[in-house]
Amino acid sequence: MSLREHILIVDLSSGRMRREEISPEFLGTYLGGRGLGVRLLRGRHTLSPFDPSMPVVFAVGPLCGTPAPTSARISVVSRSPLTGTVYDCSAGGRFAWRLRAAGLLAILVEGRSARPVVLAVTSAGEELLPASDLWAKGVGDTVRALSDRGSVAAIGPAGENGVLFSSIMMGEGNAVGRGGLGAVLGMKNLKAVTVDGDRVMPVADRERFDRARADVLRLFRASPVIFGELGISEYGTPALVDLMRQRRMAPTENFRRTVFVGAGAYSGPTIRAAYGAKKEGCYGCPIRCKKRASDGRPLPEYETVSHFGALNAIADLHSIVRSNDACNDLGMDTITAAATLSAWGEARGRFPSPEEIGTLLHDIAHRRGEGILLSEGSRRVAEALGMPGVSMSVKSLELPAYDPRGAYGMALAYVTSNRGGCHLRAYPISHEILRKPVASDRFSFSGKARMIKIAEDTNAAVDSLVACKFAFFGASIEEYAELLSAVTGEDHTPQGLKEIGERVYLTERFYNAENGFTRADDDLPARFFSEAGSSGEGIDVPPIDRARFGEELTKYYRIRGLRDDGSFPDGGFLERQP
Amino acid sequence: MRSLIAKFAGKLHRDRSAVQGRVGIAVQDDVMISEGAPDLSRLTVDVLSRLSCLGVVAASPSLPFAEFLLRRANADAEAIVPLDTETRTFLHDIPIVRRAELAGDPAAAIAALLSNRKGVIAEGVGIVASGPVTLEQAYIHYSSVFHACYVKYLLDVLQDGFLLPGEEDAFRDFRKTSLRPLTSEELFFSASHLDDPEEVLAEIRTVGRYTVQRGLVDSFFGNISYRVGETIFISQTAASLDELAGCIDPVPMDNRSTTGITASSELLAHRRIYEATGARAILHGHPKFAVVMSMLCEEKGCPVKDCWKDCPNVRMLGDTPVVAGEIGAGGLAVRVPPVIGAPGKAIVYGHGVFTIGRDGFEEAFRSMVDVESRCREEYFRRLDARAGRQSKSE
Repeated sequence: MSLREHILIVDLSSGRMRREEISPEFLGTYLGGRGLGVRLLRGRHTLSPFDPSMPVVFAVGPLCGTPAPTSARISVVSRSPLTGTVYDCSAGGRFAWRLRAAGLLAILVEGRSARPVVLAVTSAGEELLPASDLWAKGVGDTVRALSDRGSVAAIGPAGENGVLFSSIMMGEGNAVGRGGLGAVLGMKNLKAVTVDGDRVMPVADRERFDRARADVLRLFRASPVIFGELGISEYGTPALVDLMRQRRMAPTENFRRTVFVGAGAYSGPTIRAAYGAKKEGCYGCPIRCKKRASDGRPLPEYETVSHFGALNAIADLHSIVRSNDACNDLGMDTITAAATLSAWGEARGRFPSPEEIGTLLHDIAHRRGEGILLSEGSRRVAEALGMPGVSMSVKSLELPAYDPRGAYGMALAYVTSNRGGCHLRAYPISHEILRKPVASDRFSFSGKARMIKIAEDTNAAVDSLVACKFAFFGASIEEYAELLSAVTGEDHTPQGLKEIGERVYLTERFYNAENGFTRADDDLPARFFSEAGSSGEGIDVPPIDRARFGEELTKYYRIRGLRDDGSFPDGGFLERQP
Repeated sequence: MRSLIAKFAGKLHRDRSAVQGRVGIAVQDDVMISEGAPDLSRLTVDVLSRLSCLGVVAASPSLPFAEFLLRRANADAEAIVPLDTETRTFLHDIPIVRRAELAGDPAAAIAALLSNRKGVIAEGVGIVASGPVTLEQAYIHYSSVFHACYVKYLLDVLQDGFLLPGEEDAFRDFRKTSLRPLTSEELFFSASHLDDPEEVLAEIRTVGRYTVQRGLVDSFFGNISYRVGETIFISQTAASLDELAGCIDPVPMDNRSTTGITASSELLAHRRIYEATGARAILHGHPKFAVVMSMLCEEKGCPVKDCWKDCPNVRMLGDTPVVAGEIGAGGLAVRVPPVIGAPGKAIVYGHGVFTIGRDGFEEAFRSMVDVESRCREEYFRRLDARAGRQSKSE
């Protein structure tokens, strides 16, 4: 990179803070975002997530702060208390570009403050502010209290109380969700981070940049998923509700069925009609997939409506929106919260009613009553109840709203994801369901091992840039390599970016291996191999063939250069990496 | 995997975009598999082994246009830049690699270019294209490069004439032997006003296949729909017109469901055409001569720079209106519906043809044949006139 990039290192134990330059060579091999964060964990990746010395890295990418579409995102990287895996999650909003405009590519937070604090960063410098008066407040009140300090990333009561699926919430309503990094901040007594910069990011070759940006926008316009009249720009991700129901792969009643007859209650058009949904976007994003109600509340995403809906057999839109509001304010991941309630519901023989859910969510965030157990996520709940099979998770991370019996690449991607049961690593839904960039046969494993490997590498690069996955329903890594070349003044190719992604991916897997993860952890819940989904309307949804699944997984390992048991051929992988 | 290789090799032969027997395809799963002409097959293996990619296709194009474009380009040119919408949107430009650069390690030279683009033209080899996700994608990229070269070469010849030894003879041969007569004769279309969804799906599948079989449209380039009451049955995005089984979405006119999020990117254009015309069937494809002729604007001193998107004028090619507009949410859906009603057909600048059937597909199909035939005739009329002018000046 031609630009001198800096990282802020914050030791909360001592209160010391320092800005350091990041070596250009180092950035060239990890880019930023997820890649940089993963690299910075090296050496401390086997610490407990709650060890004060475990770092939490906030990192943006080299496109952030420029008009590169969908690139004002931040990755937060640490080790997940829910899964034990290395963990990253990206979020949009305004935080990322304001961080970069404050002169920083990244912040690394380590140690533990004796008292609650807020880290406040501006172009002029940084300070730790006392935050005892904010402790125990919800995210909404916290953000409002800090609103004169720029963009806010905050935790709510869930993070403070160590809920294993607590989120870090961006002030605009975006979440660093899933893996419980809110609890890692909570353990550090860090209530919030605020950023407010005013620097403008340079672009090395403006003409090249404008050309590449125009290419990206043209591809967005050509993508029905993005700008189609039924796409995510119009309806947000709940545009997927009707499609997943039609494809018979909407997880219902804790994945016992794959069609929910009440799904129309929370479809994209229904939400628009009920809440007067308005478009909103992350900074500089032309897609504007976020939707807000006419009263300003952020409306839920597809996974949230589906899991607080079908997964718990609830067809009450207002209950679902209230659940989303509660999770956002309490600072909890909606997917895991809903999936944990669903697993618990199956175990006790009754799913929670819409009336019960609000109380349960508050009990979870404050770790009281039933919430003490539920705050640990579905795997621990299921094990405690003596029914481990009802946790629909991989590596303790609850599966999102794409039933793997309806998309075999997704089935494979769930188990090979380094952060557990996540749809966003290889994101095969893109080609298996949404036909982008081309369609693949969703009921076939043929070629899927290679496809998943390539997509994981590509998306690791995307997460290191840090761009939004939705951009790739239209554009490709080819156009983003061109944007990067224009910004940095150095030539980058899609192939080169994929190689960076492969390095990031394998580093994560190596960390996980050192923390005891093996092939046995790369597995789906048994239900998917023994129970059929909801066949009908000409679509047959049988159980997944375990033998064929295993065969493709072995292929995947071979393609990755791993042994057939998923382990590394030698222990020297990290030493060979920059 | 082998069956996939056979499928796409077969398609390259059937759509007459590759020379029979001059196709090589490689796919990598956990092992590399390749088939086809031994030299091309070896090349695809060597290229693919250098890429993070699922498949590679290399073939000698059935027409020498790509080769001619490469040789007509400036000596220092690294790419050719066709300006049709397909290229403008998906390919950007097409890298070229000359014979001298292929002398050492041709696979390395080609892979280096393919690491940055979807397809390349290699002198003496042909078109090489990659498919990062599926082998079908490599086939689509090959077809896109073939289509782009076809369109650009025809435009260049009309503007600059023949520049290379042997070029005129090759073009004469193309004109005489490669162009199939365009006709809808001996095709069977269902009676008008279909209402049964199964019959509609079957008719769409049949007509989609016809467009490819008759050489109007390459497999991948187009979409098709039929309206029954308040439902549009439309082909899905990235669907091949000759393989539409399972790839047709029923989409309600009033957007009460978003199931059609996978429908063609032209869904909005189709919907508005139905609203504006009351038609029952719409056919859209990218017939090459219509694309070529749509790009021959003779307006002098026009201030519009981005003609594809910004041209506000309606030009006439015979009795067919030509308008600007890019795919999907790019304005095509605004400009086509107002002009297509009376003539039943319209051309979009650099892109392709829309035709409607007021009762069913027969009218739409005949219109598309008519538009492409007239564009072909007009193209050669202008080419012959150019040759006449040239010989007079000599």
